[in-house]
Amino acid sequence: MSQVIFSSWGRKVVDNRQGGTAEAEGAYQKMPVTFDGSRSWGAFMGWDGIIVTDPKVDVVAMAAEYAKRVQENYCCAKCTPGKRGTRVMQDTLARILSGHGEEGDLATIESIGDLMQNCKCTLCMTSAVPVIDTIKHYRNEYLSYIRGERKPNSESRYVDKLTAPCQDRCPAHIDIPKYVEEIKDFRNEDALATVRENMPLPSVCGRVCPHPCESACRRKNVDEAVSIMVLKRTASDYEWKHHHNPPMKPKPRKSKTVAVVGAGPAGLAAAYYLALEGYPVTIYEALPEGFGGGMIAVGIPAYRMPRHILQRDIDIISALGVEIIYGKRVGKDITLLELKEKYDAVFLAPGAHRSKPMGVEGEDKGYKGFLPGGIDFLREAYMGKPTGMGKKVVVVGGGNTAIDCVRVALREGAEESVLLYRRSRKEMPADVWEVDGADEEGVRFEFLVLPTKIIVDKKDQVTGVECVRMELGEPDASGRRRPQPVEGSEFIVECDTVIPAIGQDPDLSFIPEKIGIDITKWNTVVTKSLPLKNPKGRDLNDPMGNPLSRTLITDLDGVFAGGDAEIGPLTVVACVGNAHRAARVIQRWLEEGKAYLSDEEILEDILSHVSVYDKNEQVPWLDSVARAHQAEIHGRERASRKNYCEVELGFTDSQAVQEAERCLRCYRVAMLAM
Amino acid sequence: MVTLTIDGKTASVPAGTTILEAAQQVGVRIPTLCWLQKVSPTGACRICVVEVEGVARPMTACNTPVKEGIVVTTQSEKLFAIRKQVVELLLVNHPLDCPVCDAAGECDLQNICYEFNVTQQPFEAEDVNPPVINGWPLIQQVPSRCVLCEKCVKVCHETVGSSALFVNEKGDKSFIDKHLELCEFCGNCVSVCPTGTMISKTFKFKARPWELTKVPSVCTYCPSHCQVDVNVKNGKVVRMTSEEGSTVNDGNLCIGGFFGHGYVDSTKRLTQPLVKSVAAGWDEALTLVADKIREAGPSAVAALGSPRLSNEENYLLQKLFRVAVGTNNIDSEARFGALRALGVLNATLGLEGVSNSIESIGNADAVLVFGADVTAEVPALDWQIEKACRKQNGKLVIANMRQVKLTRYANTHLNYKPGSEVALAGALAKIIIDKGLAKEAYLAKYVKNADQIKQQLKSVSLKKAVEATGVSEALLVEAAVYLGNAKNLALIFGADVSRSEGAEDKVLALANLALLCGAIGSESGGIFPIDEKGNMQGLLDMGVAADLLPGLKSFSKSRTEFEKAWNVTLPAKGLDAQGILEGIEKGAIKVLYLAATNPAVSFPDSGRWRKALDKLEFLVVQDILASDLTEMADVVLPGASDVEKNGSVTSLDHQLSKLGKARKPVGDAREDFEILASLYGKLAPKAPPVVLASVIAEIKQLVPAYGKSECCGGAQCRHAVRSRFVPAVKSMVFSEIKASAAPAAGLKLLSGKILFHFGTTSTFAEGNLVVAPVAYVEMNPADAEACGVKDGDMVKVTSAIGSAKGAVKVSSKTQAGLIFAPYHFAEMNIQQIIPAKSNLVTVQISKA
Repeated sequence: MSQVIFSSWGRKVVDNRQGGTAEAEGAYQKMPVTFDGSRSWGAFMGWDGIIVTDPKVDVVAMAAEYAKRVQENYCCAKCTPGKRGTRVMQDTLARILSGHGEEGDLATIESIGDLMQNCKCTLCMTSAVPVIDTIKHYRNEYLSYIRGERKPNSESRYVDKLTAPCQDRCPAHIDIPKYVEEIKDFRNEDALATVRENMPLPSVCGRVCPHPCESACRRKNVDEAVSIMVLKRTASDYEWKHHHNPPMKPKPRKSKTVAVVGAGPAGLAAAYYLALEGYPVTIYEALPEGFGGGMIAVGIPAYRMPRHILQRDIDIISALGVEIIYGKRVGKDITLLELKEKYDAVFLAPGAHRSKPMGVEGEDKGYKGFLPGGIDFLREAYMGKPTGMGKKVVVVGGGNTAIDCVRVALREGAEESVLLYRRSRKEMPADVWEVDGADEEGVRFEFLVLPTKIIVDKKDQVTGVECVRMELGEPDASGRRRPQPVEGSEFIVECDTVIPAIGQDPDLSFIPEKIGIDITKWNTVVTKSLPLKNPKGRDLNDPMGNPLSRTLITDLDGVFAGGDAEIGPLTVVACVGNAHRAARVIQRWLEEGKAYLSDEEILEDILSHVSVYDKNEQVPWLDSVARAHQAEIHGRERASRKNYCEVELGFTDSQAVQEAERCLRCYRVAMLAM
Repeated sequence: MVTLTIDGKTASVPAGTTILEAAQQVGVRIPTLCWLQKVSPTGACRICVVEVEGVARPMTACNTPVKEGIVVTTQSEKLFAIRKQVVELLLVNHPLDCPVCDAAGECDLQNICYEFNVTQQPFEAEDVNPPVINGWPLIQQVPSRCVLCEKCVKVCHETVGSSALFVNEKGDKSFIDKHLELCEFCGNCVSVCPTGTMISKTFKFKARPWELTKVPSVCTYCPSHCQVDVNVKNGKVVRMTSEEGSTVNDGNLCIGGFFGHGYVDSTKRLTQPLVKSVAAGWDEALTLVADKIREAGPSAVAALGSPRLSNEENYLLQKLFRVAVGTNNIDSEARFGALRALGVLNATLGLEGVSNSIESIGNADAVLVFGADVTAEVPALDWQIEKACRKQNGKLVIANMRQVKLTRYANTHLNYKPGSEVALAGALAKIIIDKGLAKEAYLAKYVKNADQIKQQLKSVSLKKAVEATGVSEALLVEAAVYLGNAKNLALIFGADVSRSEGAEDKVLALANLALLCGAIGSESGGIFPIDEKGNMQGLLDMGVAADLLPGLKSFSKSRTEFEKAWNVTLPAKGLDAQGILEGIEKGAIKVLYLAATNPAVSFPDSGRWRKALDKLEFLVVQDILASDLTEMADVVLPGASDVEKNGSVTSLDHQLSKLGKARKPVGDAREDFEILASLYGKLAPKAPPVVLASVIAEIKQLVPAYGKSECCGGAQCRHAVRSRFVPAVKSMVFSEIKASAAPAAGLKLLSGKILFHFGTTSTFAEGNLVVAPVAYVEMNPADAEACGVKDGDMVKVTSAIGSAKGAVKVSSKTQAGLIFAPYHFAEMNIQQIIPAKSNLVTVQISKA
């Protein structure tokens, strides 16, 4: 059982140095008791204070090291208090540590710390917080250094990480403050280079990302979040709108090869980062050429993600030397074992393309007009194949795929496009702006409605859906109020087409049963993880319920997995982040024969579990510039038949600069003593 | 409008205004250090912190926009303490080398220390400043003096667009570094540096700022005429400066303005008259010239004027020859470019030069730069384009045979094949019409024959245009849509068009395009024929051309008017530059007077000129620098540089400015006006003496444009002789242009201007020579390989009329099949292989 010795985290002091067992709430409770399942950690220092769990940790030495790293490794030097203040702080602490300090130095540090509250951004500013905390609460330790009674003998190793609330929340961990500042500074090319360090599909995630980063934007604590996603699009559009060639150059070609299953976001991202490292990568894609991109292509309609722009991102990856073999389905045209034989490593990223059944009477009867699923419908429409859709279309579901289906149905010529959802609008998992988009295009919504039976005529042609009205009861495990049927409220929605769009899961039939790859009950691939537990002994999990820190290698040596098939159906950005990590682990495995996570990656996972963003933080700032909104085509004509023109138009350059100016650059440095 | 209170005063300002700007409007001064009006706010120094009621932390005034109803306090004990501490931090490890620091006396850090009473240093830290950077040409960087305000980085990136400077390293080791290959050596980083971090090597240790006399003037290296202060110490010009905020160029200069003044103190300056290369007295020399002119008789005498001379000098030059000598054999290098563009634009559209101000380009919503390296030809236009297309949302289309600096910011680069300009402009016009983007109401109102030409342009074959230009249809369409969608288009074209073979047709094709886009007369933007030479507009306005009288009046049509004004009979005709050349060759022209011009280097077919000059009976060269030309001359009359004379010049955009006489001409040299006036006296002894005031009065009387606006008398007075061109109803005509024949096959050589030099003058300026010491031939890697040459090899470039030698510079900036060579260098003299009225020629390359 772990015990906190001292904590000032969140400005709440818990001090058990003189004995006692007071509990520290908040961050500490979300941290693992061991760093990686085996190594223990002794103290944590960051933007909101310090947490000490091992009395042997030399807090003074740690503060000195922290100040040094902030100044030498992270301080951008772009404001005076930061550039010079952290230097004075670093040198003063070093002087104390070397036995040449004076008591007055402590006041100097505190005074510099105060001045640093006027920094341009929060990097140096917040770095003063833990340092000042140590002076306040470990004053005697400082004095014993100053009096020459103590010498540093610290054996501690430190791991540090620069982060920011947005960057932490972004599953791909894009350095958001950096690229936003680059846009502000009229440096769109640099901004794009920054994005690409962690996001090889910038045009995609500049358009269709659900942007979890924005829900962790500290500007929200002032007024509204910075429009981080559209700024990413600005940087990405700038490149192709100026006919610039991407600047990336792969390292010299290596000999070990990697096969990737699936040219979706995960497969492409892993290939991109491996190719940059010099590995020859071959992607096997089941769909024919021209339809690369996985769920981005066949799951996100072109009015949200124009095909030529997606194709450009794919072409850029190909140009790095990645070979994409189209029209080859692993498990059918080539077996997984063959791949394993042929390549030094295999990365499985097949995605989640199988529609889930609706559980409604008649759905398995093969009725005409009852389509296999939302994702299948979107794919057929995207590929220009007959979808089997009629004129009056009913889509069942409340997620983004359901919304995409009703909107595509209009563009495929539906006279009526209706969405049935069993809860209310507020509970819809789909992004609000997507729902609003459908509304504007003339989609009819039926909320609090549960389909119970498919109605057909004599020729087995669908003529309607029998439904029952629902009402919301008590909240369930997801926090949403559980819908319950209202007795006697049955009614029929007339239609000729029903599209169930209630979710999809991976089709893992290509993985032979006895091959040694484990599969979860949610039909995702099991990968190895660190056994991290919180002080209460519970496993640390990510929001999808997977173990928090995973190496992404399967139980079968040399075979890795990522994307929707490993995480569970999620988002493009989650797949990219996950695949980027897989690429790094694959490289380690290829070069060192070991699949492991770096200390920085583990710290990244721990921080994201702790959460760098604090929605309750008081952020003093003048709220004089409201969030900018990108231009958009309005009116029902935008959803007219076969009109797949992009609906959202991005920022103008000057709008982007103005929006970027709103960023508060909320960098923070975290450091852990092992 | 947003209303707020600052220190008890009520300010009402537009939304988006910063607190700092609002405070300035109500007369509240907030101290700053890193703030620079012309670039985006940086917020680096934190000195401008203010308190806003209800906000729990001080906000920086420079980058915080105002909000309705806020109450701002700019002075308080707390704020003073923050500001003082910040300055104390700035001084940590700042060297105490003020006594030998070039910035001492004009250092913002010194001033701010003084203001905040910073007399002690409570903080200390290890000195981790990187060493001084001495390796950059022309500019020294002293990191220890740097306050990292980033003004230099921002001016470099945002205003100039060279983006050479950047912040390198982390923490206190950070310093301003440079991508040297991108540097344009404009010196603006030195100008904006608040301390002695960025130091001009040409100025270093030359003077203390308080010893300098600053004489307001304009830079005449190019026709934008940036306003400068000539900084003089003991009669030496030690540097040029320009004030931010109060000058038309907002304090920005280019390499010419900032570092290019060295020629005025060159050891090659001519200091006394020479007769047959032997020093002579002024009277002896001038009498000899007058005698020779009289002896030869008017029809055997010719003169060439220069865009390097002032308006008054050029006016007097043409009058001298037309009235006192009685010949109309007077012309200039304008014949090979500027005059060709002007001629057709005047005839079809009524233009007398560019149609709008240079600043108006900055508000255009699309800019087409056609056949111009605008950065080199008129750098101030580049800065406006940066503003329009990088800081605002303008679209930039570059049509150029080469990659030029601005290509990196272009939305579309139309890399057309040599000789395909008409096809390219025609294709763009056709697409604009086909897509319904032509400005119909505008055309109907202002253009006589709109329908007719639309029919003709519609018949242009895109397929043929793609073939001729080598530009894909997709790019053509993209560019045309940008241009067609613009409400305010700026169409700029330069030397590649107006100095080329068939220039007239190309200019007309561009004029058609400008009409379709409604560019001529629009509020912002317009049509901008540019010529790189300083006082080209003034030269033409003053009538230094065989077919033009002062005021751009046609010689044949206005002869009587001027005969009356001057009380003489003017010759019926005169020879233009080409005619003069042929006249010399035939022996018909015996005496040639060259006023600040060197046909043997600058003019196309310069080799032929050189030979012709040898045939002359008598050659007079009035110039400031010794050269092969002055060695050939029978009489050399040493003139004055711009900093040694009074007079006025006219910018590209019709702004009349005064030159500031900062010192006397060197040695016995005289102001060019004085030389011409003396000669006038000798040739027309009965005429009243010519003085500057009388010539100014005469210009005002005979050139209506120059007569209407009065000089305010201020040292930096600048006023428009023509304002924005507004066409009269149904006054403009489209021109039908026949497709020109494709140029002959084979490797082509293009001669032109480069950023680092201005005519031949700057090849006498040490600053310019440091970064561009010699000529070269720039070749595409494919051509170099085909010719079997590599970077640095000396090659001989041969055309049908001559050959020249130079070192190869392999670069993918020029397209395959095209070689580029700068024309500035007398040693290479590339113009000797270029035929008259052209800048492009078929060549062969061999190893030299």
